[in-house]
Amino acid sequence: MNSNKTRWIIYSTLLIVVVLSYLLGINLITHPSPEVQKSYTFIENLPESSVVMVSFDHEASSLPEIQPISLILLRHLFRRNLRVVGLSLFAEGTAIGYRTLTKVAQEYGKQYGHDYVFLGFKPQHISAILGMGESIRGVFPEDYFGNKIEEIPLMRKIRNYDDILVVISIADGDRTMQWIEYAGAKYHQRIMAGLTAAMITTYDPYLASGQLSSAVGGLKGAAEYENLYGRRGMGNRGMVAQTAAHIFIIVLIVIGNILYFKNRSKGGGNR
Amino acid sequence: MNLGILIAGLLTLAIYSFLYKDNPVYRAAESLLIGLSIGYTLVLFWQSTLFDKLFYPLLREHGIWLTIPLILGLMMFSRLTRKWSWLSRIPIALMIGAGAGAAIPAMLYARTLKQVSATVHPLIMENGGFDISAVVVVIGVLTTLAYFYFTREHKGVMGKMARVGTYFLMIFFGATFGYTVMSRLSTLIGRIDFLLGDFLHLLK
Repeated sequence: MNSNKTRWIIYSTLLIVVVLSYLLGINLITHPSPEVQKSYTFIENLPESSVVMVSFDHEASSLPEIQPISLILLRHLFRRNLRVVGLSLFAEGTAIGYRTLTKVAQEYGKQYGHDYVFLGFKPQHISAILGMGESIRGVFPEDYFGNKIEEIPLMRKIRNYDDILVVISIADGDRTMQWIEYAGAKYHQRIMAGLTAAMITTYDPYLASGQLSSAVGGLKGAAEYENLYGRRGMGNRGMVAQTAAHIFIIVLIVIGNILYFKNRSKGGGNR
Repeated sequence: MNLGILIAGLLTLAIYSFLYKDNPVYRAAESLLIGLSIGYTLVLFWQSTLFDKLFYPLLREHGIWLTIPLILGLMMFSRLTRKWSWLSRIPIALMIGAGAGAAIPAMLYARTLKQVSATVHPLIMENGGFDISAVVVVIGVLTTLAYFYFTREHKGVMGKMARVGTYFLMIFFGATFGYTVMSRLSTLIGRIDFLLGDFLHLLK
Protein backbone atom coordinates (compact mmCIF):
# COMPACT_ATOMS: atom_id res chain seq x y z
CA MET A 1 0.00 0.00 0.00
CA ASN A 2 1.50 3.38 -0.90
CA SER A 3 1.97 6.04 1.80
CA ASN A 4 -0.62 8.36 0.26
CA LYS A 5 -3.29 5.67 0.51
CA THR A 6 -2.28 4.87 4.10
CA ARG A 7 -2.50 8.56 4.98
CA TRP A 8 -5.94 8.75 3.44
CA ILE A 9 -7.21 5.75 5.38
CA ILE A 10 -5.84 7.14 8.67
CA TYR A 11 -7.34 10.61 8.18
CA SER A 12 -10.70 9.31 7.00
CA THR A 13 -11.00 6.80 9.85
CA LEU A 14 -10.02 9.44 12.41
CA LEU A 15 -12.64 11.80 11.02
CA ILE A 16 -15.31 9.07 11.11
CA VAL A 17 -14.34 8.14 14.68
CA VAL A 18 -14.58 11.78 15.86
CA VAL A 19 -17.85 12.53 14.04
CA LEU A 20 -19.52 9.30 15.21
CA SER A 21 -18.43 9.93 18.81
CA TYR A 22 -20.13 13.31 18.61
CA LEU A 23 -23.33 12.08 17.01
CA LEU A 24 -23.75 9.19 19.47
CA GLY A 25 -24.05 11.71 22.31
CA ILE A 26 -22.49 9.53 25.02
CA ASN A 27 -21.55 11.20 28.31
CA LEU A 28 -18.20 10.33 29.89
CA ILE A 29 -17.49 10.82 33.57
CA THR A 30 -14.19 12.58 34.21
CA HIS A 31 -12.69 12.92 37.66
CA PRO A 32 -10.91 16.16 38.54
CA SER A 33 -7.13 16.07 38.59
CA PRO A 34 -5.43 17.66 41.63
CA GLU A 35 -4.45 20.75 39.59
CA VAL A 36 -7.99 21.39 38.35
CA GLN A 37 -9.40 20.77 41.82
CA LYS A 38 -6.88 23.23 43.26
CA SER A 39 -7.84 25.88 40.69
CA TYR A 40 -11.53 25.41 41.38
CA THR A 41 -11.14 25.45 45.17
CA PHE A 42 -8.99 28.56 45.00
CA ILE A 43 -11.54 30.55 43.00
CA GLU A 44 -14.39 29.16 45.07
CA ASN A 45 -12.77 30.48 48.24
CA LEU A 46 -11.89 33.97 47.00
CA PRO A 47 -13.72 36.74 48.88
CA GLU A 48 -16.65 38.19 46.93
CA SER A 49 -15.84 41.30 44.84
CA SER A 50 -12.12 40.46 44.72
CA VAL A 51 -10.40 41.55 41.55
CA VAL A 52 -9.04 38.90 39.19
CA MET A 53 -6.99 39.72 36.11
CA VAL A 54 -7.58 37.46 33.09
CA SER A 55 -5.05 37.69 30.29
CA PHE A 56 -6.02 36.17 26.94
CA ASP A 57 -2.54 35.25 25.71
CA HIS A 58 -3.35 33.02 22.76
CA GLU A 59 -3.80 32.91 19.02
CA ALA A 60 -6.98 32.19 17.10
CA SER A 61 -5.61 28.80 15.98
CA SER A 62 -5.79 27.37 19.50
CA LEU A 63 -9.33 28.63 20.07
CA PRO A 64 -11.04 25.21 19.92
CA GLU A 65 -8.95 24.05 22.86
CA ILE A 66 -8.66 27.33 24.75
CA GLN A 67 -12.28 28.46 24.45
CA PRO A 68 -13.78 25.79 26.74
CA ILE A 69 -11.20 26.70 29.40
CA SER A 70 -11.86 30.46 29.07
CA LEU A 71 -15.63 29.97 29.20
CA ILE A 72 -15.73 27.80 32.29
CA LEU A 73 -13.17 29.87 34.21
CA LEU A 74 -15.02 33.12 33.45
CA ARG A 75 -18.36 31.54 34.34
CA HIS A 76 -16.94 30.51 37.69
CA LEU A 77 -15.48 33.99 38.31
CA PHE A 78 -18.78 35.73 37.53
CA ARG A 79 -20.88 33.23 39.48
CA ARG A 80 -18.70 33.95 42.48
CA ASN A 81 -19.33 37.70 41.93
CA LEU A 82 -15.65 38.39 41.42
CA ARG A 83 -14.64 41.39 39.37
CA VAL A 84 -12.67 40.75 36.22
CA VAL A 85 -10.03 42.88 34.54
CA GLY A 86 -9.44 41.42 31.06
CA LEU A 87 -6.55 42.14 28.75
CA SER A 88 -4.45 40.52 26.07
CA LEU A 89 -0.72 40.32 25.50
CA PHE A 90 -1.17 38.53 22.19
CA ALA A 91 -2.64 40.54 19.32
CA GLU A 92 -4.91 37.75 18.07
CA GLY A 93 -6.26 37.07 21.54
CA THR A 94 -7.65 40.59 21.86
CA ALA A 95 -10.91 40.38 19.95
CA ILE A 96 -11.44 36.77 21.03
CA GLY A 97 -10.83 37.68 24.67
CA TYR A 98 -13.21 40.62 24.52
CA ARG A 99 -15.94 38.57 22.85
CA THR A 100 -15.63 35.71 25.34
CA LEU A 101 -15.54 38.02 28.35
CA THR A 102 -18.58 40.00 27.16
CA LYS A 103 -20.55 36.86 26.30
CA VAL A 104 -20.07 35.32 29.76
CA ALA A 105 -20.57 38.65 31.55
CA GLN A 106 -23.94 39.09 29.78
CA GLU A 107 -24.96 35.54 30.78
CA TYR A 108 -24.56 36.59 34.42
CA GLY A 109 -26.02 40.08 33.98
CA LYS A 110 -22.75 41.84 34.78
CA GLN A 111 -22.23 45.51 34.06
CA TYR A 112 -19.26 46.80 32.09
CA GLY A 113 -17.08 49.16 34.09
CA HIS A 114 -18.46 47.97 37.43
CA ASP A 115 -18.12 44.19 37.35
CA TYR A 116 -15.68 43.78 34.51
CA VAL A 117 -13.50 45.76 32.18
CA PHE A 118 -11.43 44.96 29.11
CA LEU A 119 -8.18 46.87 28.77
CA GLY A 120 -7.29 45.60 25.30
CA PHE A 121 -3.92 44.69 23.87
CA LYS A 122 -0.44 45.89 24.64
CA PRO A 123 2.62 44.88 22.61
CA GLN A 124 6.04 44.37 24.25
CA HIS A 125 4.51 42.04 26.79
CA ILE A 126 7.50 42.08 29.15
CA SER A 127 7.37 45.86 29.51
CA ALA A 128 3.60 45.63 29.96
CA ILE A 129 3.83 43.01 32.72
CA LEU A 130 6.61 44.88 34.52
CA GLY A 131 4.85 48.22 34.05
CA MET A 132 1.61 46.97 35.59
CA GLY A 133 3.56 46.08 38.73
CA GLU A 134 4.08 49.82 39.20
CA SER A 135 0.91 51.22 37.64
CA ILE A 136 -1.77 49.59 35.53
CA ARG A 137 -2.94 53.05 34.56
CA GLY A 138 0.53 53.82 33.21
CA VAL A 139 0.40 50.83 30.86
CA PHE A 140 -3.29 51.10 29.97
CA PRO A 141 -4.33 54.77 30.24
CA GLU A 142 -7.51 53.81 28.38
CA ASP A 143 -9.61 50.68 28.05
CA TYR A 144 -10.36 48.79 24.81
CA PHE A 145 -12.92 51.44 23.77
CA GLY A 146 -10.81 54.48 24.56
CA ASN A 147 -12.49 55.30 27.89
CA LYS A 148 -10.10 56.95 30.35
CA ILE A 149 -9.15 54.45 33.06
CA GLU A 150 -9.83 56.94 35.87
CA GLU A 151 -13.40 57.28 34.58
CA ILE A 152 -14.10 53.54 34.92
CA PRO A 153 -15.54 52.83 38.40
CA LEU A 154 -13.94 49.36 38.70
CA MET A 155 -10.47 50.70 37.87
CA ARG A 156 -10.51 53.66 40.26
CA LYS A 157 -9.24 51.65 43.22
CA ILE A 158 -6.93 49.37 41.26
CA ARG A 159 -3.38 50.71 41.14
CA ASN A 160 -1.16 47.69 40.50
CA TYR A 161 -0.78 43.97 41.35
CA ASP A 162 -1.30 44.77 45.05
CA ASP A 163 -5.00 45.20 44.27
CA ILE A 164 -5.31 42.02 42.22
CA LEU A 165 -5.66 38.66 43.94
CA VAL A 166 -4.67 36.45 41.04
CA VAL A 167 -3.65 36.73 37.40
CA ILE A 168 -5.08 33.99 35.19
CA SER A 169 -3.10 33.64 31.98
CA ILE A 170 -5.03 31.73 29.33
CA ALA A 171 -2.23 30.81 26.97
CA ASP A 172 -1.13 28.54 24.16
CA GLY A 173 2.55 29.42 24.40
CA ASP A 174 5.12 30.94 26.70
CA ARG A 175 3.26 34.10 27.81
CA THR A 176 2.40 32.42 31.12
CA MET A 177 6.14 31.96 31.63
CA GLN A 178 6.61 35.72 31.40
CA TRP A 179 3.82 36.28 33.90
CA ILE A 180 5.64 33.88 36.25
CA GLU A 181 9.04 35.50 35.66
CA TYR A 182 8.06 39.16 35.80
CA ALA A 183 4.82 39.44 37.78
CA GLY A 184 5.31 36.32 39.93
CA ALA A 185 8.99 36.48 40.75
CA LYS A 186 9.36 40.26 40.96
CA TYR A 187 6.01 41.37 42.37
CA HIS A 188 5.02 38.10 44.15
CA GLN A 189 1.77 38.04 42.18
CA ARG A 190 -0.12 34.75 42.29
CA ILE A 191 -0.34 33.26 38.79
CA MET A 192 -2.86 30.69 37.58
CA ALA A 193 -3.03 29.31 34.05
CA GLY A 194 -5.39 27.89 31.46
CA LEU A 195 -3.17 26.02 29.04
CA THR A 196 -3.33 23.96 25.88
CA ALA A 197 -2.43 20.32 26.51
CA ALA A 198 0.78 20.70 24.48
CA MET A 199 2.09 23.21 27.02
CA ILE A 200 1.39 21.19 30.17
CA THR A 201 4.80 19.48 30.38
CA THR A 202 6.52 22.86 29.92
CA TYR A 203 4.75 24.24 32.96
CA ASP A 204 4.82 21.09 35.14
CA PRO A 205 8.14 22.06 36.82
CA TYR A 206 6.67 25.48 37.70
CA LEU A 207 3.60 23.84 39.18
CA ALA A 208 5.83 21.56 41.22
CA SER A 209 7.90 24.48 42.51
CA GLY A 210 4.77 26.51 43.30
CA GLN A 211 5.72 29.40 41.01
CA LEU A 212 2.59 28.60 39.04
CA SER A 213 -0.20 28.33 41.56
CA SER A 214 -2.38 25.92 39.54
CA ALA A 215 -3.43 25.17 35.98
CA VAL A 216 -6.34 23.92 33.92
CA GLY A 217 -4.87 22.03 31.00
CA GLY A 218 -6.43 21.18 27.67
CA LEU A 219 -9.88 19.96 26.78
CA LYS A 220 -9.69 17.40 29.58
CA GLY A 221 -8.95 20.10 32.14
CA ALA A 222 -11.92 22.09 30.85
CA ALA A 223 -14.18 19.01 31.11
CA GLU A 224 -13.04 18.34 34.67
CA TYR A 225 -13.66 21.97 35.62
CA GLU A 226 -17.09 21.91 34.00
CA ASN A 227 -18.00 18.90 36.17
CA LEU A 228 -16.83 20.65 39.32
CA TYR A 229 -18.78 23.73 38.32
CA GLY A 230 -21.85 21.63 37.49
CA ARG A 231 -22.42 22.70 33.92
CA ARG A 232 -21.40 20.44 31.06
CA GLY A 233 -20.11 22.33 28.03
CA MET A 234 -17.67 22.14 25.15
CA GLY A 235 -15.08 20.34 27.28
CA ASN A 236 -17.35 17.43 28.16
CA ARG A 237 -18.82 17.27 24.65
CA GLY A 238 -15.32 16.80 23.25
CA MET A 239 -14.15 14.18 25.75
CA VAL A 240 -15.90 11.21 24.09
CA ALA A 241 -14.41 12.15 20.72
CA GLN A 242 -11.00 12.64 22.30
CA THR A 243 -11.11 9.29 24.09
CA ALA A 244 -12.23 7.50 20.91
CA ALA A 245 -9.50 9.21 18.87
CA HIS A 246 -6.87 8.28 21.47
CA ILE A 247 -7.95 4.63 21.37
CA PHE A 248 -7.72 4.77 17.58
CA ILE A 249 -4.18 6.20 17.76
CA ILE A 250 -3.11 3.56 20.30
CA VAL A 251 -4.44 0.86 17.94
CA LEU A 252 -2.44 2.44 15.10
CA ILE A 253 0.73 2.47 17.21
CA VAL A 254 0.24 -1.22 18.11
CA ILE A 255 -0.40 -2.16 14.46
CA GLY A 256 2.63 -0.11 13.37
CA ASN A 257 4.87 -1.89 15.89
CA ILE A 258 3.56 -5.35 14.94
CA LEU A 259 4.26 -4.61 11.26
CA TYR A 260 7.69 -3.20 12.12
CA PHE A 261 8.77 -6.28 14.09
CA LYS A 262 7.26 -8.60 11.50
CA ASN A 263 9.16 -6.81 8.76
CA ARG A 264 12.37 -6.80 10.79
CA SER A 265 12.16 -10.55 11.47
CA LYS A 266 11.95 -11.03 7.71
CA GLY A 267 15.11 -8.92 7.35
CA GLY A 268 13.23 -5.94 5.93
CA GLY A 269 15.18 -3.31 7.84
CA ASN A 270 13.49 -0.18 9.08
CA ARG A 271 10.69 0.10 6.55
CA MET B 1 -27.92 31.08 9.18
CA ASN B 2 -25.66 33.75 10.64
CA LEU B 3 -23.32 35.07 7.90
CA GLY B 4 -20.28 34.86 10.18
CA ILE B 5 -20.97 31.18 10.93
CA LEU B 6 -21.47 30.46 7.22
CA ILE B 7 -18.14 32.08 6.31
CA ALA B 8 -16.33 30.36 9.19
CA GLY B 9 -17.80 26.97 8.22
CA LEU B 10 -16.87 27.32 4.56
CA LEU B 11 -13.35 28.48 5.42
CA THR B 12 -12.89 25.53 7.80
CA LEU B 13 -13.89 23.16 5.00
CA ALA B 14 -11.57 25.00 2.60
CA ILE B 15 -8.61 24.52 4.95
CA TYR B 16 -9.44 20.84 5.54
CA SER B 17 -9.60 20.30 1.75
CA PHE B 18 -5.78 20.21 1.93
CA LEU B 19 -6.11 16.69 3.40
CA TYR B 20 -7.30 15.60 -0.03
CA LYS B 21 -4.57 17.48 -1.83
CA ASP B 22 -3.16 20.96 -2.32
CA ASN B 23 -5.76 23.04 -4.19
CA PRO B 24 -6.62 26.68 -5.02
CA VAL B 25 -9.48 26.83 -2.51
CA TYR B 26 -7.13 25.80 0.30
CA ARG B 27 -4.48 28.30 -0.85
CA ALA B 28 -7.03 31.12 -1.02
CA ALA B 29 -8.21 30.37 2.53
CA GLU B 30 -4.63 30.16 3.77
CA SER B 31 -3.71 33.49 2.15
CA LEU B 32 -6.82 35.06 3.65
CA LEU B 33 -5.81 33.84 7.10
CA ILE B 34 -2.28 35.21 6.78
CA GLY B 35 -3.46 38.53 5.35
CA LEU B 36 -6.13 39.00 7.99
CA SER B 37 -3.76 38.10 10.86
CA ILE B 38 -1.12 40.56 9.68
CA GLY B 39 -3.66 43.30 8.95
CA TYR B 40 -5.33 42.86 12.32
CA THR B 41 -1.99 42.88 14.16
CA LEU B 42 -0.84 46.00 12.29
CA VAL B 43 -4.02 47.87 13.15
CA LEU B 44 -3.70 46.87 16.81
CA PHE B 45 -0.05 47.95 16.92
CA TRP B 46 -0.90 51.24 15.26
CA GLN B 47 -3.79 51.91 17.62
CA SER B 48 -2.26 50.74 20.89
CA THR B 49 1.33 51.87 20.39
CA LEU B 50 2.08 54.23 17.52
CA PHE B 51 -1.06 56.33 17.85
CA ASP B 52 -1.83 56.06 21.59
CA LYS B 53 1.72 56.17 22.91
CA LEU B 54 3.52 58.25 20.31
CA PHE B 55 1.67 60.40 17.79
CA TYR B 56 -1.26 61.47 19.95
CA PRO B 57 0.79 62.62 22.97
CA LEU B 58 3.46 64.09 20.67
CA LEU B 59 1.07 66.20 18.62
CA ARG B 60 -1.77 66.88 21.07
CA GLU B 61 -0.10 66.88 24.48
CA HIS B 62 3.18 68.46 23.40
CA GLY B 63 5.21 65.48 24.59
CA ILE B 64 8.31 66.83 22.93
CA TRP B 65 10.55 64.24 24.63
CA LEU B 66 8.75 61.57 22.55
CA THR B 67 10.78 62.75 19.55
CA ILE B 68 13.67 60.71 21.04
CA PRO B 69 11.94 57.31 20.69
CA LEU B 70 10.51 58.47 17.37
CA ILE B 71 14.00 59.20 16.04
CA LEU B 72 15.32 55.93 17.49
CA GLY B 73 12.49 54.08 15.77
CA LEU B 74 13.17 55.78 12.47
CA MET B 75 16.86 54.88 12.81
CA MET B 76 15.80 51.22 12.56
CA PHE B 77 14.80 51.86 8.95
CA SER B 78 18.35 52.93 8.12
CA ARG B 79 19.03 49.21 7.64
CA LEU B 80 17.35 49.60 4.27
CA THR B 81 20.36 51.50 2.95
CA ARG B 82 23.89 50.18 3.03
CA LYS B 83 25.44 53.60 3.61
CA TRP B 84 23.42 54.46 6.73
CA SER B 85 22.74 51.00 8.12
CA TRP B 86 25.23 51.55 10.97
CA LEU B 87 22.70 53.96 12.51
CA SER B 88 20.37 51.07 13.31
CA ARG B 89 22.94 49.68 15.72
CA ILE B 90 22.12 52.41 18.25
CA PRO B 91 18.42 51.53 18.83
CA ILE B 92 19.27 47.80 18.59
CA ALA B 93 21.96 48.21 21.27
CA LEU B 94 19.46 50.04 23.47
CA MET B 95 16.84 47.34 22.98
CA ILE B 96 19.27 44.52 23.72
CA GLY B 97 20.67 46.32 26.74
CA ALA B 98 17.28 47.08 28.25
CA GLY B 99 15.92 43.65 27.33
CA ALA B 100 18.86 41.81 28.87
CA GLY B 101 18.76 44.01 31.94
CA ALA B 102 15.11 43.16 32.54
CA ALA B 103 15.32 39.51 31.53
CA ILE B 104 18.53 38.19 33.10
CA PRO B 105 17.70 38.71 36.80
CA ALA B 106 14.08 37.60 36.32
CA MET B 107 14.98 34.48 34.36
CA LEU B 108 17.86 33.58 36.65
CA TYR B 109 15.57 33.82 39.65
CA ALA B 110 12.44 32.14 38.24
CA ARG B 111 13.94 29.55 35.88
CA THR B 112 17.07 28.62 37.81
CA LEU B 113 17.24 29.59 41.49
CA LYS B 114 13.58 28.92 42.36
CA GLN B 115 13.55 25.69 40.35
CA VAL B 116 16.79 24.43 41.92
CA SER B 117 15.52 25.20 45.40
CA ALA B 118 12.28 23.34 44.60
CA THR B 119 14.35 20.30 43.60
CA VAL B 120 16.09 20.11 46.99
CA HIS B 121 13.48 18.46 49.18
CA PRO B 122 14.00 16.57 52.45
CA LEU B 123 13.85 12.83 51.74
CA ILE B 124 12.13 12.18 55.08
CA MET B 125 8.68 13.70 55.46
CA GLU B 126 7.32 15.38 58.60
CA ASN B 127 5.42 12.21 59.57
CA GLY B 128 8.67 10.21 59.42
CA GLY B 129 7.80 8.52 56.12
CA PHE B 130 10.13 8.24 53.18
CA ASP B 131 9.29 10.65 50.34
CA ILE B 132 9.63 8.47 47.25
CA SER B 133 8.80 11.30 44.84
CA ALA B 134 11.70 13.38 46.23
CA VAL B 135 14.01 10.40 45.54
CA VAL B 136 12.73 10.17 41.96
CA VAL B 137 13.35 13.92 41.50
CA VAL B 138 16.91 13.63 42.85
CA ILE B 139 17.73 10.61 40.66
CA GLY B 140 16.09 12.27 37.65
CA VAL B 141 18.00 15.54 38.05
CA LEU B 142 21.40 13.89 38.67
CA THR B 143 21.18 11.31 35.90
CA THR B 144 19.82 13.79 33.33
CA LEU B 145 22.62 16.21 34.19
CA ALA B 146 25.08 13.30 33.79
CA TYR B 147 23.72 12.69 30.29
CA PHE B 148 24.38 16.32 29.33
CA TYR B 149 27.89 16.30 30.85
CA PHE B 150 29.89 15.92 27.65
CA THR B 151 33.39 16.82 28.84
CA ARG B 152 33.83 13.31 30.27
CA GLU B 153 33.33 10.10 28.34
CA HIS B 154 30.15 8.24 29.26
CA LYS B 155 31.81 5.11 30.68
CA GLY B 156 31.58 3.23 33.98
CA VAL B 157 29.41 4.90 36.64
CA MET B 158 29.06 8.01 34.51
CA GLY B 159 27.87 5.90 31.58
CA LYS B 160 25.30 4.10 33.71
CA MET B 161 24.01 7.38 35.13
CA ALA B 162 23.77 8.89 31.66
CA ARG B 163 21.86 5.79 30.51
CA VAL B 164 19.32 6.21 33.31
CA GLY B 165 19.16 9.92 32.37
CA THR B 166 18.10 8.98 28.84
CA TYR B 167 15.15 7.00 30.28
CA PHE B 168 13.98 10.09 32.18
CA LEU B 169 14.36 12.15 29.01
CA MET B 170 12.39 9.58 27.00
CA ILE B 171 9.58 9.65 29.56
CA PHE B 172 9.53 13.45 29.25
CA PHE B 173 9.50 13.31 25.44
CA GLY B 174 6.77 10.66 25.50
CA ALA B 175 4.61 12.72 27.85
CA THR B 176 5.17 15.84 25.76
CA PHE B 177 4.35 14.01 22.55
CA GLY B 178 1.23 12.49 24.09
CA TYR B 179 0.03 15.90 25.27
CA THR B 180 0.78 17.40 21.85
CA VAL B 181 -1.31 14.71 20.13
CA MET B 182 -4.07 15.46 22.64
CA SER B 183 -3.77 19.17 21.88
CA ARG B 184 -3.94 18.76 18.10
CA LEU B 185 -6.89 16.38 18.42
CA SER B 186 -8.66 18.94 20.60
CA THR B 187 -8.29 21.44 17.78
CA LEU B 188 -9.85 18.99 15.32
CA ILE B 189 -12.60 18.15 17.81
CA GLY B 190 -13.31 21.85 18.32
CA ARG B 191 -13.79 22.37 14.60
CA ILE B 192 -15.97 19.25 14.28
CA ASP B 193 -18.03 20.55 17.22
CA PHE B 194 -18.47 23.83 15.32
CA LEU B 195 -19.25 22.18 11.97
CA LEU B 196 -21.77 19.70 13.41
CA GLY B 197 -23.30 22.16 15.86
CA ASP B 198 -23.32 25.78 14.72
CA PHE B 199 -22.82 25.15 10.99
CA LEU B 200 -24.93 22.05 10.25
CA HIS B 201 -27.18 22.07 13.37
CA LEU B 202 -26.81 18.32 13.79
CA LEU B 203 -26.11 18.48 17.52
CA LYS B 204 -28.83 19.00 20.13
